[in-house]
Amino acid sequence: MSTHAVKRTKYRIGKMSLLDYIILAILTILALAILIPFLNVIAISLASQKEYAENPMMLWPKQPTLDAYRALFEDGRILVGFGNTLKIMAVGLPLSLFLTSTMAYGLSRNAFPGKKGIFFLVLFTMIFNGGIVPLYLVMKSLHLTGSLWSVILVGSFSAFNMILMMNYFQSLPESLMESARLDGAGEWRILFSIILPLAAPIMATITLFYGVAFWNGWYDAMIFLRKAEMLPLQNVLRTIIVESTTNVSNAASVDALNKSGFSTGMKMASVFVSMVPIMCFFPMLQKHFAKGVLTGAIKT
Amino acid sequence: MKPAIVGSGKMTKARLRNGNLLTEIWKHRMTYTLLIPGLIWLILFAYLPTGGLSLAFKHYKANLGIWGSPWAGLENFMYVFRDPAFASSVWRTLYVNIIKLVITFPFPILLALLLNELRMRKMKKLFQTILTFPQFLSWIIVSGIVINVLSYDGLVNSALQLFGLPTINFLGSEPMFLPMLILTDIWKSTGWGAIIFLAAISGIDQDQYESAQIDGASRMQQIFKITLPNILPTVTVMFILNVGGLMSAGFDQIFNLANAATQNVSQVLDVYIYRVTFQSSTDFSFSTAVSLFRSIVNMVLLLTADRVAKWMGGDGLFR
Repeated sequence: MSTHAVKRTKYRIGKMSLLDYIILAILTILALAILIPFLNVIAISLASQKEYAENPMMLWPKQPTLDAYRALFEDGRILVGFGNTLKIMAVGLPLSLFLTSTMAYGLSRNAFPGKKGIFFLVLFTMIFNGGIVPLYLVMKSLHLTGSLWSVILVGSFSAFNMILMMNYFQSLPESLMESARLDGAGEWRILFSIILPLAAPIMATITLFYGVAFWNGWYDAMIFLRKAEMLPLQNVLRTIIVESTTNVSNAASVDALNKSGFSTGMKMASVFVSMVPIMCFFPMLQKHFAKGVLTGAIKT
Repeated sequence: MKPAIVGSGKMTKARLRNGNLLTEIWKHRMTYTLLIPGLIWLILFAYLPTGGLSLAFKHYKANLGIWGSPWAGLENFMYVFRDPAFASSVWRTLYVNIIKLVITFPFPILLALLLNELRMRKMKKLFQTILTFPQFLSWIIVSGIVINVLSYDGLVNSALQLFGLPTINFLGSEPMFLPMLILTDIWKSTGWGAIIFLAAISGIDQDQYESAQIDGASRMQQIFKITLPNILPTVTVMFILNVGGLMSAGFDQIFNLANAATQNVSQVLDVYIYRVTFQSSTDFSFSTAVSLFRSIVNMVLLLTADRVAKWMGGDGLFR
């Protein structure tokens, strides 16, 4: 991308034609179409009910207040959601990295009996899956429904991530492992003390992949968990936003609290706080996900 | 194996082969131990549920479980195919996803062309950052934003009112549901979708542009005669891969943007499965039969898409 741009500017330095201005204008409009809804959400979360009722179009409140955030945290449900998501990630991330890296390293070894068959077992899960109904019944028979473990376990292996990591391991020079083997190191030792330290880039990418999936996940939790105090952040947000908006078309009175007791300001505050972690990690996410998409052919 | 026949040549060979296999397995025993954790996961959470699809051919009895319930032949499928809601959910899925695909597909390509033609590198970075951000948010967060902006008293309708235009009921009317899905999908996914096309553009041989410039080609001519033909293979492959997901795409979006007013038009296959399994009177055999139908159609679509993509000279889904 960058070399392209550099080369072409060499030909016409500093000349902005009409076309350039048109392109700039279109892109600016598109960027604003993305930014303005975000600004509106943030503005409403910082405005008083009265100010919002007067001007729902605002991009910045005249008298910013943290009332909505205070009410949101006093209500506490969103904090419970945060806590549950953090618990899921604290256990799920190490577990997923363990499952993915052991299998990826095992399958990146030289041919051994059954290697192709096992790889096919992994690949097949990408082509065919039973869907949610039998998974739910299996979860129930394992007595995992109603426990955070259901969400953790279901999310802790992905064939796509495993294949990505396997390809990376295959690109490492075989001589590294050979010399360690001569020194008497076993495969587990080689994986943990030689391969993984060398594999920091792919480990970072895969950690972010699982991290975003855990952070944004909600469907498994909706199916497997029934108690409100167990729900992760996205599900709590869903209760606040989607399920409380029963009749959007007739929601005429903006300052009326809906039946769940959340004002519009509180709703927007909850959207914003759920977004903050993604915003903080965004520069990293952008880089690593682009790499994943370009090497892995399939979308996230 | 009796020692008496060890002498025969055939058996020795077989034993040797077995012996070789066993030594091979023994030699790689450490590697197998590496695979065990992953295999346990695959068995529990991928292959047990796949085996559980056998429930589609059984009468589910809660006390007997998946494996013990009595066989029912194709009875469940008879009920499934007779359910008008099932057939309509299949057509709704295809209708929604085909129209969505046809309309939204060109946008990432256009955006990639625009970004590529932008001369200011710092602005290009900034635009890319802003435009790709929504992709990383869940559809729950995005529907929070969408419900706020598109609701009756939200940003868009207030602006329409300001200019004296009629307001639009984006969220609560059946005819607006699909246009609203298309609009919000473009908003969320276009920026990210452009990444793969930008990468394809950056892979184009620069000599082509240089000789075109020497020949006096305008920028428009360069776009149409060099850039677009060169990224056509990527465009084709991306389109085919999207076709592979026609039966399962868009669940998160539809599920989180649907409400009571749009109940009928939002019932795609996955929503139907959710509703019959977890909301109405539960008949797990029936739901499993629908699930099996869905899994098979998905697999056929995916494999066909992969074949076609490879045939068109692309990488396909699985390298």
